[in-house]
Amino acid sequence: MATSAYWRTRFQRYRLIGNRCKECGKVFFPPRFVCPACGSVKLEEYKLPERGKLVEYTVVYTAPKGYEVMTPYVIGIVELEDGVRVLAQITDVDVEDVKEGMEVEASIRRLPEQLEGGMICYTYKFRPVIK
Amino acid sequence: MTCIAMREVAVVAVGYTRVSEHWDKSIKGLFIEASLKALSSAGLSLKDVDGIYVANAFAGYLQRQTNLASIIAEALGLTDTFAVSIDAGGASGGLAVHEAYRDVAHGIRDVVLVCGVEKMSEATSSDVLTAQASVEDQEYFRYTGATLHSLAALIYKTYMKRYGVKQEDVALMSILDHEHASTCQHAQYPFKITLDSIMKSPVLSDPVRVLEVVSPSDGAAAVVLCPHEKAKELGAPHVKIAASQLVRDSFNIVERGDVLAMEALVKAASRAYKEAGVTPSDIDFAEVYDDYSVMGVIAMEKLGFCREGEGVKVLKEGEAKLDGRIPINTFGGLKARGAPIGAVGVYQAVEAYLQLTGEAGANQVKDAEVGLTHGSCCFNSIAVVNIFRRCC
Repeated sequence: MATSAYWRTRFQRYRLIGNRCKECGKVFFPPRFVCPACGSVKLEEYKLPERGKLVEYTVVYTAPKGYEVMTPYVIGIVELEDGVRVLAQITDVDVEDVKEGMEVEASIRRLPEQLEGGMICYTYKFRPVIK
Repeated sequence: MTCIAMREVAVVAVGYTRVSEHWDKSIKGLFIEASLKALSSAGLSLKDVDGIYVANAFAGYLQRQTNLASIIAEALGLTDTFAVSIDAGGASGGLAVHEAYRDVAHGIRDVVLVCGVEKMSEATSSDVLTAQASVEDQEYFRYTGATLHSLAALIYKTYMKRYGVKQEDVALMSILDHEHASTCQHAQYPFKITLDSIMKSPVLSDPVRVLEVVSPSDGAAAVVLCPHEKAKELGAPHVKIAASQLVRDSFNIVERGDVLAMEALVKAASRAYKEAGVTPSDIDFAEVYDDYSVMGVIAMEKLGFCREGEGVKVLKEGEAKLDGRIPINTFGGLKARGAPIGAVGVYQAVEAYLQLTGEAGANQVKDAEVGLTHGSCCFNSIAVVNIFRRCC
């Protein structure tokens, strides 16, 4: 990934910033340019909640280039408190302890791939909520 | 908007290589082999071709070769001929057929060569995975660490839970493919496999196992389209294209609400049935896009061959076999005929032609009159449904 491309997506990766259609109220993550529901181009920034529950998950054993070092890792669908669903890696938990319906919260984690010059990349991952 | 055919369109010739690991053949070599076979079988030559569609998904990534249509046209010595590449992942082949069909139907071109080609065997497996994932929106998908296998796994688990079926049921799709491929000359894996071997194969992304997933492969398949009237003049065996429909959906399966909805496929199928003036019960065989076993099962349901959740019943009761109620993947489908991704839709068109002209040999479906092919990119974020009809 180019450094600038990484930089452009920093808000969605660091702070879960999506957007919302000003006309029909639909929320998008990642952010969109045009609302597919009503066709409006009037979209405003929308901060997603950082908590939710794990709807479904899978354990990945074969990873794409650069991600091999992380296997096995968990990819899941997280339904956030406002009902928006995001695809994310689940972290800070042993693979066998991951449970459907588990409460999770967003956290910042390092990505395995590095940018030119060794710049380290980060993104959101979800971890179990510790009560 | 419905595409109103001005002229009836025929597939008048087919040519193809075996799906395999063709270490000795380049993309250009594979393309030219399949294309020349097709043209010569109908008594045509390169000079007769006035349009070329190249279906390919990964050359830009795996071979660092973009601009493929012009590179290939030049290799064919056709510098002055219309040539365009179609890049739509696993829907590329079906979409290339769609474009050629429209050109001929609307009188824009008379003899159109459609050739799908892909060369995946010489890449590393992580490169292939990355190439496959590159059909997703990179600004989002890439940093999640998700793979297409993991998305298929999420769909698979949701499917099993909703309909109360087991992996042993869904995996029957791979057994069916291999059974049909066992007598197919152009199949990558022409042998049968057992449930036991599937269940013992390694897990790629839980529960998806190696023997439920397509493997990297090389191959090229070509069809030649022309007006039906010209096909009759040529005197070569031919079939008609009765419908061709393409519909898209969100790439992000998580955003779709229900990951099992596959709305694009449902719409494409219903529009194609309407265009052809048929219903699902009129379809004599179908080539479905089963890049994962569960996707083949879901496709049978969305195409209307059975009710939702009853795809595994179709497999269990043998209805999808060559002599069954609705033969599926009559030459082995993606799993066993093999899946050179961008070429799959053209292989499917070739197979529909072989069935409808009675040239399917040991894989012949008796009295086949109407056949359907289904192409898909990213879990039917692009769905193509083409329907072919026998000419009497």
